[in-house]
Amino acid sequence: MMGELIFRNLVHRPARTFIGILAISVEVALVVLIVGLTSGLLTETAKRIEGIGADIMLQPPGASYILGFSNAPMPIKIADKLRELKYVQAVAPTLLQFNSTGGVEVVYGIDPESFREVTGGFVFLSGHDMQAPDDVLVDDWAARAKHLKVGDTYNLFNNNWHVAGIVEHGKGSRVFVPITTLQDLIGAHDKASIFFVKCTRPEHAEDVMEDMRKPDNFPGYTVRPLKDLLSLMTSTNIPGLQVFIDAMIALAVSIGLLVIFLTMYTTVIERTRDIGVLKSLGANPPFIIRALLMESALLCLAGIAGGVALSYGVRAAFIAGFPTLSILITPGWVIRAGLIALFGTIVGASYPAWVASRKDAVEALTFD
Amino acid sequence: MGIAATIPAPQSALQSAAGQGSEKRSLEPILQTENLWKLYHAGKVEVPALRGVNFAVQPGESVAVMGPSGCGKSSLLYVIGGLAQASRGKVLVDGNDLTEMRDSERTKLRRSKIGFVFQRFNLLPTLTARGNIAIAQYIHGDGFDPHRFAVVTKMLGLEGRLAHKPSEMSGGEQQRVAIARAIINEPKILLADEPTGNLDTKNSEIVLEMLRRLNKDLGQTVVMITHNPEATVYFDRVVHMRDGVIVDGVPAD
Repeated sequence: MMGELIFRNLVHRPARTFIGILAISVEVALVVLIVGLTSGLLTETAKRIEGIGADIMLQPPGASYILGFSNAPMPIKIADKLRELKYVQAVAPTLLQFNSTGGVEVVYGIDPESFREVTGGFVFLSGHDMQAPDDVLVDDWAARAKHLKVGDTYNLFNNNWHVAGIVEHGKGSRVFVPITTLQDLIGAHDKASIFFVKCTRPEHAEDVMEDMRKPDNFPGYTVRPLKDLLSLMTSTNIPGLQVFIDAMIALAVSIGLLVIFLTMYTTVIERTRDIGVLKSLGANPPFIIRALLMESALLCLAGIAGGVALSYGVRAAFIAGFPTLSILITPGWVIRAGLIALFGTIVGASYPAWVASRKDAVEALTFD
Repeated sequence: MGIAATIPAPQSALQSAAGQGSEKRSLEPILQTENLWKLYHAGKVEVPALRGVNFAVQPGESVAVMGPSGCGKSSLLYVIGGLAQASRGKVLVDGNDLTEMRDSERTKLRRSKIGFVFQRFNLLPTLTARGNIAIAQYIHGDGFDPHRFAVVTKMLGLEGRLAHKPSEMSGGEQQRVAIARAIINEPKILLADEPTGNLDTKNSEIVLEMLRRLNKDLGQTVVMITHNPEATVYFDRVVHMRDGVIVDGVPAD
C-alpha cells in the first residue's frame, strides 16, 4: 500500500518528478564522469608507458612519474653508460616535450633504432618508420582525433612535420619524432628526458636498479621499475588531484541535495491537507517521515539509473568527438556514486519530512 | 431514495456491534467530556472556542451537534477525536482519558477507535477509491482484509467505482468512499464534520440515510456536526451549541 501511495504521488506530478530524477542523474553522472575521466587518463597513460616494454626508467633527480611534467633533460651519453651495466639489453634515450596546441599531449623524441630494441618496434597500420628528420609517427587514436593520414603535414612546435606512418597505440606517446630534430627545436642539444632500459630478463630488473643507484653510476637519479607505474598512477598519488575529485563530488552532492530539498519541500506544502488526512486516519510522525523518505529514495533510484545511462551516453559522445580521451567507468564507482546520491537525497528530504510530521492535523486539514 | 434504499442487509461479522451497542446504552458513555475548554491563541489574544462543555454520548447513539458558524462545533469534534488537545477539562473516549495522553497515544487511539468523515471529503487525490479505503486498513496495521473491504464497499454501493480516482467521482460518491474509509476498521465512534456541506439535496439525503443505517443496523455510534436543521431528523438526539457552550433547547440561527 505504501508503495502504491508513493508511486502514485510521483506520477501525479510528472514534471516535478522528472526534474528530481534529472538532478540526481546529473549528480551521479558528474561523479562517475569526473572520477572516470581522471582515472581513465591516468590508467591509460600508465598502460601506454608500460606498453613500451621496458623494465626500468631513469629520470633526473626528483622527477615526477607523470612523464612530461618535469622537464630537466639529462646528457644523452648516459645511455652509453647504462648499456655497460650488467643485465642491460637495450637502452632508449627519449626526449619528452609537452604540447598544448590542439590538445594536451606529450611528444616523444626517439632514436628509432634504440627505441625499437627496447619496445620490439611499432606495429604499423599504414606508412613506414621515420626516415627523414621531419618525419612524424602518429598512433591510430591520435590520427583519428586529428584527422591525419600518411603523407599529411602536421604542424607541431612551429615546425611542419611529414606524417610518415600511423602506428598501433600503446607505446608511450601518441606522437613520435626524431630525437635529434626535437633537440634542435627546443634547444636541448644532446639531451634526453628519460632513459628506458630493457633488461636481459625481467627478473634482473632489481639487480640493474641496484647497480644504477650505486655512487659510481647514477646516485640521486630517479630509478623506477615500469611495472609499478600503473599502481602509482592513482588520484591519491597525484598532489591536488584527490582534493579536486572530492570537491567535484561535494559539488555534485550539493546539487542533488538542494534539488531534492526543494522538490520535497514544495511537495510537503502542496500535500499539507493530505498529511492532515493521514494523521486523521491515525498515521503517526514516523509513518509520515517514512512515506516521504521512501518517495525521495524511489526518486533517487530512478535518478541513479538515469545517471548511469547518462554517464555512458556522455562517455560515448566524448569519445566520438575526442578519440584520445579515456573515461573509465567502473562498477565500484557507479555503486559509490549511487550511494553518494542516496545519502544526499535522504539528507535533503529529511527536513521536509520532519516538517511534514510536525504539522498540526487540524491546521493541515483546513489548509487550502 | 436511490443507493441508500438498495443497501443490502449487513453481514453477520459487522452485526455483532449492533447487539453490543444496544446492550451498552444503559452503561458507561462511550464518549464524555467534563468541563471541556479549548483555547486558541491569536497573537497575544486568547480565544475560547469551547467554554466548559459537558457532553456525553452513549454506545450506539447517534447525535447531531448544531450551531451557527464559530460556535465551537468543529473544535468539539476535533478535541473528542483526538486531533486537537483540550486546554482544560477531561475527554473520555471508550474509557480512555485523552487529556492524559501524549500525542502518540492519542494517534494510536484515533487509529483504532475513531473514524472521521469531513465536509470536503478529504480523499487522497492520487489514490483510487480502493486505495483510499485500503490505506486506512494499512495505517491501522492489520493489513488488507478483503472480506471486510468487500462487505463495506458493497454496503455503500461502491463496487463499480473502486478503480476511479476522486477527480472522476461525484461529490456523493466521494463522500461514500470517505464513509467507507472511516468505518473500514470498525471504529467505536464515527465523527462527521458537516458531511453534507458540499453535497446537493439528493446526495445529502443519501449520505444521511447511510449514516442512519450504520447507526441503526450496525450499532455504530455517530456524532455529526451540522448547521442544517433538516439533517437532524436522521439522528436520535440533537445538541445545540452557541459561543462555545452547549445550550440544549436553544434553536440554532
